[in-house]
Amino acid sequence: MVLDKKTRKKYVLVVVCMAAFALLLSGPFTAAETAQGSGGEAVHEENPGEADGGGQETDRTGDLLDLLYRFINFALLVIILVIALRKVGLKETLTGRIEGIRQGLDDLKEGKKEAETKFKEMERKLQEFQEKKKEIVAQYKKEGMAEKERIVAAAKERAKHLIEQAELTIELEVQSVRDQLKRDVVDLAVQRARGIIAKEITEEDQGRLVDEFIERVGKIH
Amino acid sequence: MIGSKISKRYAKALFSLGREDGSFEQYGRELLEFTRICQDHSDLRNVIANPVFKLEERKKVLHFVLEKVTFSVVTKNFLTLLLDKHRIGALEAVADYYSQLVDEASNIARAEIISARPLKGETLGRIEKSLEDLTSKKIKSVVKEDHGLIGGIVVKIGDFVLDGSIKAQLEGLKQSF
Repeated sequence: MVLDKKTRKKYVLVVVCMAAFALLLSGPFTAAETAQGSGGEAVHEENPGEADGGGQETDRTGDLLDLLYRFINFALLVIILVIALRKVGLKETLTGRIEGIRQGLDDLKEGKKEAETKFKEMERKLQEFQEKKKEIVAQYKKEGMAEKERIVAAAKERAKHLIEQAELTIELEVQSVRDQLKRDVVDLAVQRARGIIAKEITEEDQGRLVDEFIERVGKIH
Repeated sequence: MIGSKISKRYAKALFSLGREDGSFEQYGRELLEFTRICQDHSDLRNVIANPVFKLEERKKVLHFVLEKVTFSVVTKNFLTLLLDKHRIGALEAVADYYSQLVDEASNIARAEIISARPLKGETLGRIEKSLEDLTSKKIKSVVKEDHGLIGGIVVKIGDFVLDGSIKAQLEGLKQSF
């Protein structure tokens, strides 16, 4: 498994911290061992009640050493921490991180600005679309009205034509019936006249008709 | 129609011969007389026009009859020709057309006078006179009666018709409405 530089630094930092923590814990034990190694004086320290009265004048050197060790231990811890942190490059990391965050913020600002621009553009387009929509609707309404008027006018014209045609047909039909009636009346009248004349005609009438015929022939000549 | 055409052809042939020798009127009279004989003696007509009998026998019959009459040689030969050509049956049509040809040549117009009632003596003469004045031809008329005319007369000269009847006047009155 290959670790990148940053991850490796983190591992090193953790190991150093653990080492420092181990040293910090090992300090008191080292101090205790040092006290035992120096004789019965340590027993006196652990049972301070038994030595009350005359114990106030006991030697305090062990405690000072212990304190010294603790200081040294702490100093080492601080030094190790400082070294480890330097080694790890915490400053650069943080700087980079800050820079990254700043860059991210800038990008976000830029994105926001772009988004706002796009939003405004979309709003403008939407507005234009709305206006266009109104124009189209108005145009279609206008055309629809014109078409409606045209259809109504055509229908009126057609109706007028139909009425005229119907009137003409009625007139012709009436005329035809009238003519037929007239023909029937005339036929009947002629038939009656024929009957009457045939009954009433005399030799004198026949002679007169012949005379008229001869006269007409003479006129033709 | 074919028979009519053939009859006209024979009539024209005889008429042209008559015009040449100036006897067309005589031939016409003889044709009419023979036609009348045939009409009066239907047996004669039935024999000479019947193809059941032999031509020679029919010819003998015809010659026997012609010997009894005083027809011209041309007329006799013409009648024999009609028999030879099997056209003796069309004798009446030939005679009729021949009469028309003779009338035309003699400046005579044939008029058919149809009257609703019988015409009086001088009336026919007056009608013919007026028609002669009209056509500038001598009128040879045939009078018929038709009560359907109600009154008045109708005269037909060829295709020319003069209608002076009550029937025609009533029709005219009807048409005027």
